[in-house]
Amino acid sequence: MINRRTLAVIKRELKVRLLSKTFIFMTLLIPLFMFGIIGIQVLLQVASGDEHPHLLIISESETIDKVLKDEFLNSREVREGSLSVQFDIAGKDIQEKLIMHKPDLLNEKLTGIVYVPDSSLDNKEIRYYSTNPNNVSLFNRIKPAINNALVDLYFSRKSLSLKDIEFARNDVDITGFRVTKAEKIQEEGYGNLIALFLFSFLLYIALIFAGQMTMNAVVEEKNSRIVEVLLSSASSRELMTGKIFGTAIIELAQMAIWLSPVIILISTAWFAIPTEFIMTLNLSYILYFLLNYLIALITFIGLYAAVGAIFDNPQDAQSGVLPLILLIMIPFFIALSLQSNPQSPVAKVASFFPFASLIVMPARMSLLEVPFMQVLISFVINVTVMLLIFPLVGKIYRVGILITGKKPKWSEVIRWLKYKY
Amino acid sequence: MLALEVIELTKTFNGITAVDKASFNVPGGSVFGLIGRNGAGKTTTLRMMMNIYIPDSGKVILHGKEVGQDFKDSVGYLPEERGLYKKMKVMDILLFLAELKGKKKKDVEKKALALLEKFELANRKDSKIEELSKGNQQKVQFISTILHDPEFLIFDEPFAGLDPINTNLLKEIILSMKDEGKAIIFSTHLMDFAERMCDHIAMIDQGKIILSGEMDEIKSRYAKSNVSINYEGDISFLKNHPIIERIENFGNSTGIKVKSPEQIQELLKLLVQNNVTVKKFNANEISLHEIFVSLAGKENGND
Repeated sequence: MINRRTLAVIKRELKVRLLSKTFIFMTLLIPLFMFGIIGIQVLLQVASGDEHPHLLIISESETIDKVLKDEFLNSREVREGSLSVQFDIAGKDIQEKLIMHKPDLLNEKLTGIVYVPDSSLDNKEIRYYSTNPNNVSLFNRIKPAINNALVDLYFSRKSLSLKDIEFARNDVDITGFRVTKAEKIQEEGYGNLIALFLFSFLLYIALIFAGQMTMNAVVEEKNSRIVEVLLSSASSRELMTGKIFGTAIIELAQMAIWLSPVIILISTAWFAIPTEFIMTLNLSYILYFLLNYLIALITFIGLYAAVGAIFDNPQDAQSGVLPLILLIMIPFFIALSLQSNPQSPVAKVASFFPFASLIVMPARMSLLEVPFMQVLISFVINVTVMLLIFPLVGKIYRVGILITGKKPKWSEVIRWLKYKY
Repeated sequence: MLALEVIELTKTFNGITAVDKASFNVPGGSVFGLIGRNGAGKTTTLRMMMNIYIPDSGKVILHGKEVGQDFKDSVGYLPEERGLYKKMKVMDILLFLAELKGKKKKDVEKKALALLEKFELANRKDSKIEELSKGNQQKVQFISTILHDPEFLIFDEPFAGLDPINTNLLKEIILSMKDEGKAIIFSTHLMDFAERMCDHIAMIDQGKIILSGEMDEIKSRYAKSNVSINYEGDISFLKNHPIIERIENFGNSTGIKVKSPEQIQELLKLLVQNNVTVKKFNANEISLHEIFVSLAGKENGND
């Protein structure tokens, strides 16, 4: 399959691409980009709450007012100044207070008014008045303090020890443990979730970029008409094979560079990582990931090259490539959905489905211990798909590469498969 | 010496036969012209000879064997629509294209430099293609076609889009390759060029070869009873004259065919008697253009 002409094409790809600014730029930029995305998400979450909400907490009775004051003024939020509160007692009639403070609410001097009636000691129901009454992030910040105050007050009337009350105040804290075939049951941290995001995201973005770059290169060869010169020396199969392998080698090297920090992290003890961030991945997973990536590259680069060969300008090619992008994007979202339920049946099916398997299986494996047999089956499916589409892609490439002018219809492209070229 | 035999090449696209059983011979050391109007099937024929298109039927024979990859390696091919990798450097692309033809870098680098020198591009060897003028890009393309020392040159409409300087350059290349005993095959719709450069031709029309053979032989065969004249005056009296078979106006000359060769003297006498000023009178001479028109009929694709 690889002869001197294919080799010459591979060499050219390596020479042109490895030294190109785009390659160096991408190699450095993608990690930055990923950290950037995570950073932006954190930032957005921080910024999504009011910076300094100012609340008026009105109690129906003095008893409640007193415990609320204790609780809030001792809370971290108020002490650190990220939340400011003032207190009032309303008696039975809250309406009067509402009318009085309405202007403050409207001109946002007050973020909101929390009304804690005596009845809340029975049913824990309180009210919130604001121009924005569905501020979930604010609720999450004030609920623990109010809950604690109500719990204290409720149980202080029953004769309970401080320890009992302490127990009642506490929320449930879940720690996950990963059960694997290994003897030891390990405490599960966020490490594997991070791995899921990291590997799925890298796979997704790298495949799309590699494909896009190949497609543009093919369109350019077609557009600049050098392809006929090349075809006078080599067959279209040799050209396409060279192009796909050349690109695959480059992208594999790039992925290895991106993963090198992860490899160092999991294979050495040079860095002390908090236990909750430790990934349960090992080197064999990384090797599997790279091998799977190689198959994915050859499969998708081939498809992208075929699309490039169908069209003779970048705009048309861009519209023609949409089905391919979906073929990568949908599995990517299925992979991400694993974070809420790693046992999701959709993901399980997708991890054996042609094309989707390439993206979903490594994602599943980052979270679960997938039985070896399943990994093997998906691997065989992927290799088979790759081998099956190669001749089809080659045919489309061969016919398309010399056809210029009118943008072909998909039905014509199907007809090309029957041509003797 | 017979170099290349093309036998009944046929290619159909979507039910339309682009080339229909095209057969011709290309002798070694000759300049061979494949002549026809646009869309006649010239490019398809050349592409089939290069195995860029796989023929529906037919074959190309070289030294008694059907051609394969060896033949591709021994051909310098210049397609009608030319192109190079715009972002690559001149020297890099020359070496890459030679490598595809099976040449090693160290074997061709010196020759590449010599050719760049000859075409006054030596100082641009490290420039990117896109930084060169269009004329210089064409020169690089010529160099890439001959760098691997091909036995055959196949040029598809080589003179289309060339400036006068590069046209002359290409003619020189063709003639010097001919002197080295190589076979040059080119397609063109420009009859004048073909007439001046080719020793052998094949005419193709609507996918069929309508005429092929040695230029001199073809011309002498068609030139009998034919006169090519330049004149001032009115020759309308010759219309429907009993000795005249056909009159064709070719702009710069007029071709007149008489019914039998011995009537040529009578034609000259007639012209003089009718006060036509004869500026040129070539008996038994015919242009390729005239032959083409008489075979393929009048058409406007001869620009």
